Amino acid sequence: MNDVSKYLTVTALTRYIKYKIDNDENLRLVFLKGEISNFKEHTTGHLYFSVKDETSKINAIMFSSNAKKIGFKITDGMKVLIVGRISVYEATGNYQIYVDEMMEDGIGNLYLEFEKLKKKLSEEGLFDKEKKKPIPKFPEKIGIVTASTGAAIKDIISTIKRRYPICKTYLFPSLVQGENAADDIVNKISTAQLYDLDILIIGRGGGSIEDLWPFNEEKVARAIFSSKIPTISAVGHEIDFTIADFVADLRAPTPTGAAEMAVPNITDVVKHINNLNIRINESINTKINYQKLKVDSLRNSFILKNPMLIYENKKQKLDLLFENLNKNIFINLSNKRLLIDNFKNNYIIKNPNILYEKQKDKLLNIIQKLELVNPLSILKKGYTLTYKENKLIKSVKDINKDEIIKIKLHDGLITSKVIDKE
Amino acid sequence: MTKEKKFEEKMEELENIVNELENGNTDLDDSINKYTKAMQLIKECDEKLKNVEEQVNKIVLENGEIKDFNIEE
Repeated sequence: MNDVSKYLTVTALTRYIKYKIDNDENLRLVFLKGEISNFKEHTTGHLYFSVKDETSKINAIMFSSNAKKIGFKITDGMKVLIVGRISVYEATGNYQIYVDEMMEDGIGNLYLEFEKLKKKLSEEGLFDKEKKKPIPKFPEKIGIVTASTGAAIKDIISTIKRRYPICKTYLFPSLVQGENAADDIVNKISTAQLYDLDILIIGRGGGSIEDLWPFNEEKVARAIFSSKIPTISAVGHEIDFTIADFVADLRAPTPTGAAEMAVPNITDVVKHINNLNIRINESINTKINYQKLKVDSLRNSFILKNPMLIYENKKQKLDLLFENLNKNIFINLSNKRLLIDNFKNNYIIKNPNILYEKQKDKLLNIIQKLELVNPLSILKKGYTLTYKENKLIKSVKDINKDEIIKIKLHDGLITSKVIDKE
Repeated sequence: MTKEKKFEEKMEELENIVNELENGNTDLDDSINKYTKAMQLIKECDEKLKNVEEQVNKIVLENGEIKDFNIEE
């Protein structure tokens, strides 16, 4: 009976079970829904938790590589949908689910609802920029619609007190989660309208998407939209927007943020007023000094100080004109005189006989030239002209022996007979 | 008696006057009137800011009753 070889080691048994489970088709890809408990995030980023329902529980591990892809904050009690595989961790002998993907249960429906409402209200113009009321810079009374307990109201009031202690606050305590929250919020928003408020902050602290759901409801959106008081939404969730955020006049990421946006810092306001005080004094002084300077400069103006100058100036001008007049007449006169003198001194007029002399010279000249060409003048030198019957003889051939010729000298005629010719 | 102007309105009026005096071509008489008005506004705003009483926090109850509201810190 004591055949030791029959006994298995723990390791062997565990390995066998692990082998069986790992090879089961149905356990390789498991879709699981349940509620998270014992949630722990290890420093390595791996997530350790259990998934349970009313009667059962399974351990779960999600490695950091997959955990990084989760788009929401995991808390105990959260209902989730999980995709993973089942295997055994040999060291503890525990079977567990190795989670590949995890999403919030119900979120799918809520998300669709949210998108549908957002589209509808957006088309109706509830989110339009032009419809947003301006937030007063220096509110004196601020209304707050939120729970009377919890971090949100504390954060808002203490922030306002720290920044702008002169501001009064009016809390309209409201449910902020659960079935009746939306109706209560709507009621409180409408009650707040009866008070003379400058700003209305509507919000709550952070929470799961279900917790924040009242702020995604249509009636809340419409109540915020119809508020006469400028609204600031303050739903504590940094990442996603709620419908209330879209419809409010201003959206703050947290209740503290809402209080910071609602009131200025009192020291800044004091500084601002001091600054305005300095500016207005400077500008009025500049203005007065400028006017003073203007009056002074008028009073000291040369002309007002020396009124005689007005007369003297005119007189001087007159003198100048008179002088110019005299000068011009004289110049005109002397010019004319000069012209007359010029005529008088003209050479021709002074020597009129020169005109005659010139003509006489010219005539003599002509006479002389005529003299030169007169054939008779050659005769004076001893040359003669020979005529036969009044015809000038130029060759011996024209003349015969015994013919009568006439020889002309400068002072007379010789009648001769040709004795011979050669 | 007309209701006293809100701090917000006073600040706005004050800023408008300062801008007007700095940029505008208001004549001297008008400027001095505006300056006097601005000085009054500065005094009032300053008093309001310095007059820090204990912060007034109220809670409006369901029945319309208004009570002091204190946050425990």
